Amino acid sequence: MPSLIWFNEDSLNPEHQMVKDYADAPKVYVFDAPYLQAQNIAKHRIQFIYEALLEIPSIQIYKGETVAVLLQLIKDLAISEVVTTETPNHMIKGWQNELQKSIDLVTYPEIFPVTDHSSPRRFSRYWRKHERSWLTV
Amino acid sequence: MMQQLRTDLELADREAIATYLQSEFPFVEDSGELSPHVGGRTAGLVRLQSFRLEKYGKQRNFLDGEVSQLSPYVSRGCLELEELRQWALKQSRSKSVEAFVSELAWRAFFHLVYEEEGDRILKDMEKPKVPMNQHQRSLPEDIAAGTTGIPSMDTLIHMLKETGYLHNHARMYLASYVVHFRKVSWRAGADWMYSLLIDGDFASNHLSWQWVASTFSTKPYIFNRENLERYAGSLLPGDPKQGDPFNYSYEELAERLFEGAYMPEPSGRSPGQYQ
Ligand SMILES: Cc1cc2nc3c(=O)[nH]c(=O)nc-3n(C[C@H](O)[C@H](O)[C@H](O)COP(=O)(O)OP(=O)(O)OC[C@H]3O[C@@H](n4cnc5c(N)ncnc54)[C@H](O)[C@@H]3O)c2cc1C
Repeated sequence: MPSLIWFNEDSLNPEHQMVKDYADAPKVYVFDAPYLQAQNIAKHRIQFIYEALLEIPSIQIYKGETVAVLLQLIKDLAISEVVTTETPNHMIKGWQNELQKSIDLVTYPEIFPVTDHSSPRRFSRYWRKHERSWLTV
Repeated sequence: MMQQLRTDLELADREAIATYLQSEFPFVEDSGELSPHVGGRTAGLVRLQSFRLEKYGKQRNFLDGEVSQLSPYVSRGCLELEELRQWALKQSRSKSVEAFVSELAWRAFFHLVYEEEGDRILKDMEKPKVPMNQHQRSLPEDIAAGTTGIPSMDTLIHMLKETGYLHNHARMYLASYVVHFRKVSWRAGADWMYSLLIDGDFASNHLSWQWVASTFSTKPYIFNRENLERYAGSLLPGDPKQGDPFNYSYEELAERLFEGAYMPEPSGRSPGQYQ
């Protein structure tokens, strides 16, 4: 079952677990031109991302609209599953949802000691409730 | 339209990378400088190695104090939050370790809220605690350009533009200046800062702006001359004494900025950090 690893800008780690789990999968990143333009993203962030990508062995870097580029690659490479990482970023989530309409998506969650979604809306209360877990190995 | 970018550039040749990216992304504004923050996990690990965690607890609120400067690596995922937490907990237990881990928890806390609220975090999370309906919706040109005429604020703006990074306290000052002293909507300020930060993250950025504004906290965050001098004095040029917008007590500032809609604790001290 050919898989494709799709990196997003919140998870540029060549040693990420998903890279180990899918060692043979092609790896891609897409600079989403409409997003960069709409958010007016500055050069330093783009350079940082690009430099981080150069450290990921055999990465393929594209420029275009994320979903369109990925769908094209899925077709060209006969991909049946896209592997990626979870992020709260609503733009990236939107792309993931869009993609999921046509292909299976495997997402690796962000790892926190406490993922309590009923969390209080003030950090002081959150910390009081979860300090012990955070400070335990 | 899909176009593949080169991957054969030498990581060490950052100038060549900058030139290449400028040609691929001609719409991006070029500040002319290279950021000192080099992308990638290797550079992140080097930064981690040189971070003096034992100094962090006492110094973290000072602009020239020891902080990790790891946020570009954490936000862009080169280093994972959990690996930093594990790293910190391996050091001998101290106030510094606890302070650092609790800052990591701030990031997770913002992410949990964002995860639950989605793009609603781009709007007021709560009613503002001070009047804000007259606030300007777009960012004034002089703020974007760093030509406000207040040397301290202009310096912070230039640091942000030239490096893609700012110390936490500097972000707080700048956000407070934009929202409370200049009466600009927090959203305009947040969008602007987000675009410039390497570590730009809607959760940490937009919710921090809301925290400063008081739409995600119980009170507005303001600072005065005394606070600025104490925490940032060594890095910032002095501001002209005449017409200094910051040279007041907190009570006076609250009166001037919010016309009495909010009064600070009589202690007269700003907490200097989130609560
Ligand atoms: C107006 C404003 C906007 C901000 N925008 C962003 C942003 O877009 N992206 C971002 O990552 N942080 C943001 N922050 C939070 C904080 O300023 C930075 O994370 C911190 O300054 C990064 O520097 P450091 O790595 O040296 O932090 P350290 O003090 O060394 O902390 C270690 C790590 O903990 C996390 N952290 C520390 N403080 C905070 C905090 N207050 N909130 C959330 N995480 C924290 C970061 O990942 C950081 O790398 C913002 C804060 C304010 C006041």
